[in-house]
Amino acid sequence: MSSESSKKRKPKVIRSDGAPAEGKRNRSDTEQEGKYYSEEAEVDLRDPGRDYELYKYTCQELQRLMAEIQDLKSRGGKDVAVEIEDRKIQSCVHFMTLKKLNRLAHIRLKKGRDQTHEAKQKVDAYHLQLQNLLYEVMHLQKEITKCLEFKSKHEEIDLVSLEEFYKEAPPDISKVEVTMGDPHQQTLARLDWELEQRKRLAEKYRECLSNKEKILKEIEVKKEYLSSLQPRLNSIMQASLPVQEYLFMPFDQAHKQYETARHLPPPLYVLFVQATAYGQACDKTLSVAIEGSVDEAKALFKPPEDSQDDESDSDAEEEQTTKRRRPTLGVQLDDKRKEMLKRHPLSVMLDLRCKDDSVLHLTFYYLMNLNIMTVKAKVTTATELVTPISAGDLLSPDSVLSCLYPGDHGKKTPNPANQYQFDKVGILTLRDYVLDLGHPYLWVQKLGGLHFPKEQPQHTVITDHSLSASHMETTMKLLKTRVQSRLALHKQFASLEHGIVPVTSDCQYLFPAKVVSRLVKWVTIAHEDYTELHFTKDIMEAGLAGDTNLYYMALVERGTAKLQAAVVLNPGYSSIPPIFQLCLNWKGEKTNNNDDNIRAMESEVNVCYKELCGHWPGHQLLTNQLQRLCVLLDVYLETESHDDSVEGPKEFPQEKMCLRLLRGPSRMKPFKYNHPQGFFSHR
Amino acid sequence: MERTMPQAVPLGQMEVFQALQRLHMIIFSQNVSPCGKFLAAGNNYGQIAIFSLSAALSSEAKEESKKPMVTFQAHDGPVYSMVSTDRHLLSAGDGEVKAWLWAEILKKGCKELWRRQPPYRTSLEVPEINALLLVPKENSLILAGGDCQLHTMDLETGTFTRALWGHTDYIHCLALRERSPEVLSGGEDGAVRLWDLRTAKEVQTIEVYKHEECSRPHNGRWIGCLATDSDWMVCGGGPALTLWHLRSSTPTTVFPMRAPQKHVTFYQDLILSAGQGRCVNQWQLSGELKAQVPGSSPGLLSLSLNQQPAAPECKVLTAAGNSCRVDVFTNLGYRAFSLSF
Repeated sequence: MSSESSKKRKPKVIRSDGAPAEGKRNRSDTEQEGKYYSEEAEVDLRDPGRDYELYKYTCQELQRLMAEIQDLKSRGGKDVAVEIEDRKIQSCVHFMTLKKLNRLAHIRLKKGRDQTHEAKQKVDAYHLQLQNLLYEVMHLQKEITKCLEFKSKHEEIDLVSLEEFYKEAPPDISKVEVTMGDPHQQTLARLDWELEQRKRLAEKYRECLSNKEKILKEIEVKKEYLSSLQPRLNSIMQASLPVQEYLFMPFDQAHKQYETARHLPPPLYVLFVQATAYGQACDKTLSVAIEGSVDEAKALFKPPEDSQDDESDSDAEEEQTTKRRRPTLGVQLDDKRKEMLKRHPLSVMLDLRCKDDSVLHLTFYYLMNLNIMTVKAKVTTATELVTPISAGDLLSPDSVLSCLYPGDHGKKTPNPANQYQFDKVGILTLRDYVLDLGHPYLWVQKLGGLHFPKEQPQHTVITDHSLSASHMETTMKLLKTRVQSRLALHKQFASLEHGIVPVTSDCQYLFPAKVVSRLVKWVTIAHEDYTELHFTKDIMEAGLAGDTNLYYMALVERGTAKLQAAVVLNPGYSSIPPIFQLCLNWKGEKTNNNDDNIRAMESEVNVCYKELCGHWPGHQLLTNQLQRLCVLLDVYLETESHDDSVEGPKEFPQEKMCLRLLRGPSRMKPFKYNHPQGFFSHR
Repeated sequence: MERTMPQAVPLGQMEVFQALQRLHMIIFSQNVSPCGKFLAAGNNYGQIAIFSLSAALSSEAKEESKKPMVTFQAHDGPVYSMVSTDRHLLSAGDGEVKAWLWAEILKKGCKELWRRQPPYRTSLEVPEINALLLVPKENSLILAGGDCQLHTMDLETGTFTRALWGHTDYIHCLALRERSPEVLSGGEDGAVRLWDLRTAKEVQTIEVYKHEECSRPHNGRWIGCLATDSDWMVCGGGPALTLWHLRSSTPTTVFPMRAPQKHVTFYQDLILSAGQGRCVNQWQLSGELKAQVPGSSPGLLSLSLNQQPAAPECKVLTAAGNSCRVDVFTNLGYRAFSLSF
């Protein structure tokens, strides 16, 4: 009911809403307020609190009336209906109050909502404005930063420094008064100056280019001129050949040799250069030549494109060979060995001429894969030599240069890296091949500038000229002394084999005039035979009898006494003395083990050898030692004390003049010969 | 035996020469220092080498301990004989006797203190001095050798007081008979002569070669070694090694040793001898051979027993001769090791 009534009333209200909307101007009119009834205006006037009180009171009244009605209805009576009616009308009035209050409440609510809504809208608008402004602020800030960070291209140019600028720039550009104060103007001025300079330099560059072109053209012209000169020079050289020969200045020959030398492998080249230099500077008896085929040497170093072609060819060939039978494994290994031991086609020949016109020919080879040098030696003499039997080994190419320096026997490869290469192809040692390839002595490597450090094998060994130069002189001298001493021995052996000890006249003073003991035999013995002799054990144990030495046996006899002497000849004769070990067979066998005097004799010959050297270079040492041995045997036999129990005279009457026969705890015989008095005494 | 294999070292001229020298070296004499820890050895090149016995015998001995501490050139000729007093080492060789201070030698300062030459009769050749003998009671030194005389030198003043002559050939060895005091000398002439030092006269002569038991004419008659123990004397050389009773001049025991002996000495109740042949022989007084201990040299010339009280740990027998090695026997039964020049 109340809701219906409110519905009815609503249009009224709405209408009154609409009216103020149109009639804003009417609101201000308080007189016109009586024309229509505005409940809204009433709302503003009434106090919500009092309305609430009114509502509470009305509700109470209603409840009271209802309760009274209830009572009356339950009591019943006649006047009840009037009272009920009365009360009904009061309740209706109360109901209407309630409805009005409800309306007022609704109106108030609506008003409140409208106000809130308005306020909210305002706030939103402000908020939006704020956002916009903030956004703009940010944008502007970014722009500002961008502007601040702006780098103009002009800063990338490296300008000259300020001082230089003021110094160098002409005043109309630098405009000192203006630019000093104003950095902007200053920078502008500097840029101006930069531009000017660059323009100038570009000009210069163009000029220089054109100059260069001109000069290149001139060079071309001159080159052509020179190349046209070459054939003319050649013809002059040819024409001068006869003159060269006439004057003994073989420039052409030397030139040709240098040409060939260019194709030598590095070690041989070093040797060639150093040997030629040494020969020209110090030793005219040395001559150097190159042998071998230059074409083959050139063929070894083909340029890479050719070798590629070769590879393709060889590929084609290989396919063919697979159809043929493969060579056996042994032959393959053999081929590999041959390949490993291959020599360079060129070799260097050195000829050393000694005083007596004998010549030592040395041929040096280079083994390419092993990176070592070898040498083959040959001795030729001015006159034909008749070789005595015992002298067979003296000048043989195999051993004539053995141990030129102590321990350098030339049977092992000096390059430690070769061992690995040998293992691959099954070569045990180079010793088997030295006869064919030559000996790889250490001094040969040094002359070629090759140095093999013992600790680590190196893959590439660099040839060193200074190493070669430092060894050249000593080695040449040693070679000469070696040849001469061997030749001297050669001659002496010839004489020794006939039983004559050839003592030169200037060494005669070392010995008495009369020597009765004679040398009966002089033969070579092998190293193994020497080691098996019973009286040579001491020398063996002292390490003085290796297999690089030469061994001989001499036999000296007098009467029934036979003295065997085993001789160790070191390849370094005559600076290293020959060593004698004696065994005397006379009234029993006496060696240094059981007879002190035999020891003394050995000592006289081995230890006191320096007085027996004769004049330098001491080639007389061996013969003097042998002669002394004969003298010692004489003394020994003659000074032997006579055994009273045995009958008969002494076998060897004393002919030597001696001061005393025996001396010292060992009862030594007088072995020392004194010249010129001619008597024997003790050391 | 202690022989090393030859080294494969390339030998230059110097090395070969040194090796040859060592091969032909003869060590003639040895002597122990007063403190007992060092041994001096003299060789035929005139060098004296001092070995440290205490270092070589210690448990940390290395190869270098068997080499000399110091070697110096003492004489121009061989050093045939050496003796030691409390502070000095006296060495004699070609005609001279020189004195060295032990303390200085051990510090490697090798300068001779003094040298003396006895008055010789001959001037053509300087005779060698083969034997030196110290007479502590008189503080004198007796020298004997090539000129067939015994010379006495007073150690304090250095003057030669006496010259005893009687030998007809050079003298090999001397021995002292403490009690009397008498000196025995043995020589090349085959006689052992006894001399009284107070009267300076020859008291007794024993011509060994005339006795059939011991004479060996094929070896000669020379007396190479002598040792005496108050009433007893043992001598050897050309004749066989024989033990003599001095008062009666009779040979009591002949030791059956074929090789001539060059050195003999009494030791406790044994007689030790050495000579031609490698071994050191040990004999009982009865004439039996107790032991033969081989050494490293082909022939031995001197034996030395280190009985110095100051160094009991170095009590060894050393033997040297025709080699550059001195054999050291710590126990008489075997050769322990060798020192070498």
